[in-house]
Amino acid sequence: MAFDANRLREQFPILKLEANDHPLVYLDNAATTQKPQAVLDALIAYYTTSNANVHRGAHYLSDRATTQFEQARDRVAHFINAEQADHVIWTKGTTESINLVAYGLEWCLKPDDEILITSLEHHANLVPWQQLAFRTGARLRVLPLTSKGEWEPEYERYFNEHTRIFACTQISNAIGVKTPIKEMLAAAKAVNAFTLVDGAQAVAHYPIDVQDLDCDFYVFSGHKMYGPTGIGVLYGKPHALEVLTPVQTGGEMVRHVTYNSTEFNVLPYRLEAGTPHIEGVIGLAAACDFLTSQDREEMVQWEQRLARYVYDELKFNTAIEIYSPASDTTVVSLSVPGIHTMDLNGYLDSQGVAVRAGSHCAHPLMAQLGVSSTLRASFACYNTLSEARRFCDVLLEAIEILGDD
Amino acid sequence: MTDLNCDAIQARLQACTSKEATFKELVSLSKQLKRLTDADKIEENKVKGCESAVWLVEHQNNGLCTFQADSDAKLMRGVLMVILSLVNGHSKAELQQRDLIAELSEFNLSSYLTSSRTNGVLGILKQIQANDPSNL
Repeated sequence: MAFDANRLREQFPILKLEANDHPLVYLDNAATTQKPQAVLDALIAYYTTSNANVHRGAHYLSDRATTQFEQARDRVAHFINAEQADHVIWTKGTTESINLVAYGLEWCLKPDDEILITSLEHHANLVPWQQLAFRTGARLRVLPLTSKGEWEPEYERYFNEHTRIFACTQISNAIGVKTPIKEMLAAAKAVNAFTLVDGAQAVAHYPIDVQDLDCDFYVFSGHKMYGPTGIGVLYGKPHALEVLTPVQTGGEMVRHVTYNSTEFNVLPYRLEAGTPHIEGVIGLAAACDFLTSQDREEMVQWEQRLARYVYDELKFNTAIEIYSPASDTTVVSLSVPGIHTMDLNGYLDSQGVAVRAGSHCAHPLMAQLGVSSTLRASFACYNTLSEARRFCDVLLEAIEILGDD
Repeated sequence: MTDLNCDAIQARLQACTSKEATFKELVSLSKQLKRLTDADKIEENKVKGCESAVWLVEHQNNGLCTFQADSDAKLMRGVLMVILSLVNGHSKAELQQRDLIAELSEFNLSSYLTSSRTNGVLGILKQIQANDPSNL
């Protein structure tokens, strides 16, 4: 049976809302996705049947909470095809995951070492590395990728004997283009660099196999894949997680403490100080279940079809510049020269259409594209063709209203 | 800059019963804003924290303030028209005592005035109330 977005969206209660007297058209999914009833139910069920602190108490509720919490780790590990559940570290989200690695690897960097990122990174996968470079005297280098996600073979010289860390996004948040991740990871591994993949924009759309990617670290956020906010994942290979210095210390991450010394706990607890975001973890596992119960191939084809529809509707309009690729993406990022994206956004919002206007936390990429901001429509599994059409219609109305002087 | 009639602007905005109507009213207001010249649109006149660029220039005459402002976004130019109608022709001491945020909220602009990072209106009001170092 073909993928049925209209049926799927029944599972998302928020999509029935009106916004500014119009049916809500939610196309800001790259910022955060809406949550299916199954995720909302999991959160309520946790608090109504299982709430207790995990790993500590030995009572009925704490056993329930701990069991669900650790089962969730199994489910998330399975979701990304991690070798073992204890390779999954809970974090607040992608940003915290990257910071844990950037601080945790500080000991291994010295002046003259190089940290390599690409020109398509979100600030979350740029600033932590830049600051790490400042602290250690290492150099931050930027591998140039075109806005089509292409690289030139001669760029292999960026990977050299000085390269200690290579951090790269799998998909650009700002323009939705895929990076040549496997080729770049191969080049990074050839020079023995630590590798980190920012999967924040990939997990909601594509099945993730961290063993196939063969990266040292893979990071993502729950809220961009139909899960709750405030929960994310740092996956790491054992040898990579083992060498991370714990950034946060305290309860949960220790085995034995005296006033003179502390023996740290084993992975994953060593990197999870304090009481974790228990209901977030349980909600994230429910989101993984939601995704794995779909036909992922059909789902992403549907999302790409919506982006393609918008691209084809707008591509011949001379007032509009599109920065996203024509195909193989779920995002359409564009600008209308002469009209501020905040103004376009204001009109779209007045018609109930939610998109993102701005620099998408990617100032250097905006500079590369020669704009200060773009308008980004990003699609999820519950969006429909009529919503894609509505976005185009309202955008064209906005251009007519705003372009008259 | 003389036809900044605060009451008339307020009446027009209060008559808006939808976000679309407010949007169109702000766009219409934006057309009345006297634009700054490029010479005034310099970095030191820029108000920080606005997603669209906003420039603010202050003049004082006989103890009364006159502000001029501009933006590269129309909606913001409409909002600037509202703000200037509230603050122009008053002394700095008086402006500092007024609750400009509360006054602005009377203009039916609440959704344009959220203190999110995409909106620098609070920053503009702060700068209007701050002492201009060149006039000290």
